[in-house]
Amino acid sequence: MTTHVLKIVITGGYATGKTQFVRSISDIEPVSTEQVLTATTERALKHETTVAMDFGSIAINDQITLHLFGTPGHERFDFMREHLLVGCLGYVVLVDSCRPAHLPQTQHLLFRSMELTEAPFVVAANRQDDPTALPLNYIRRRLGLPFNVPLVPCVATDRTTVRGVLLTLLKHIAARLTLHS
Amino acid sequence: MALEGNLQNMALSDLIQVFHTDAKTGILFLKGTHERGVIYVADGRLIDAVVVRGKERTIVATRDEAVLQMLTWEQADFIFRYEPTVRKRPIRIVHSGQCLILEGMRRHADPVRTLSYYNITPETILHLAALPRNVRSGVRLSIDQWRILSWIASGQNVHTICQATGLDVPAVTRLVVELMAIGLVEIAPCLSAATEPAYRDCTMIASAAPVYAHDVPYINKNSRSFSNVCGTMRQVCSEIDLLDVITRCINQL
Repeated sequence: MTTHVLKIVITGGYATGKTQFVRSISDIEPVSTEQVLTATTERALKHETTVAMDFGSIAINDQITLHLFGTPGHERFDFMREHLLVGCLGYVVLVDSCRPAHLPQTQHLLFRSMELTEAPFVVAANRQDDPTALPLNYIRRRLGLPFNVPLVPCVATDRTTVRGVLLTLLKHIAARLTLHS
Repeated sequence: MALEGNLQNMALSDLIQVFHTDAKTGILFLKGTHERGVIYVADGRLIDAVVVRGKERTIVATRDEAVLQMLTWEQADFIFRYEPTVRKRPIRIVHSGQCLILEGMRRHADPVRTLSYYNITPETILHLAALPRNVRSGVRLSIDQWRILSWIASGQNVHTICQATGLDVPAVTRLVVELMAIGLVEIAPCLSAATEPAYRDCTMIASAAPVYAHDVPYINKNSRSFSNVCGTMRQVCSEIDLLDVITRCINQL
């Protein structure tokens, strides 16, 4: 029996919850490349960071498997994101709803990703369970996102909302395919 | 559980707009170079604020004036924490956030109008302000502020206070403005009509420039290479139609 693999990439800025996103939804124990952070300023947010990629898998049925690739968030590992985006069916851009300082970096990442691939993408606003989180309309405006790009609320530790983000992406891909066919 | 950043990344006017539109509740702490500020927000409304200076935490401004001072800051770290008990605090800010933003923009455009310096002359007579019933203690004054306050209590004008304290007019004016910002001192009633702050009437400044200035044009790209990706995926999924696969994914995920 042939197994069909669909590649989805999870990308975003530093400490936006990409590794947790993959962990929350993956059927298998995710493959992570976490290393201890040494820079003091970076340790303020977390103690370990992804240096190559995260890998998770979701078996839809016997024939179809979704492969999730999480990219590193550091700019110095941008080359990994470029490799991972090649041939992807679509991608998710994660943004931290509680750190407005990261929005310009995410905007730069969005433009760079759109240059690399024209696969459909959705933006997921993480930490929307926090009562102080920035509202979606503000995030959309700061990122300069047009309304035809879905912006989805998300909590990376909550499997239900992560599933919702992936469903939105798949629906977005399906809509694009319908349009092109 | 907090919103963190710097005013360079998100201006205070943007924060106030977000608090209002999303009905946020909590305490906003700002840490500038020399001063620190706190704004209390209940269900999107600014209800109280204070600006303090130095390690002694000398109060520089309170209420509306504190927000207006913070709106002029360009560099400060901020953290907004959710705190539902803020709703129980008394409301001490008179004007809406929108009104304060517009007044802040007006002052930013015309620094001469910052605070009430331009209203205070050596002939200006000052008196103690009537404190509201819900006022709380905890105001810390510097020695010079105390000296000025003691002379104001006897109804003296700025010129007399300068002679009595040995301070020059600019120094006394600055201290008087600080005491006015705290809410302890007012200009005597005979001059109050001329010194009424213009921001009480928001319509005067309604034509100011838009608050938001961060919009960046979106690069709308064509989708030719997306079809190439689809072609690649079709090769991977050689036996079934890609659209069918995705539809099945949606149904089964």
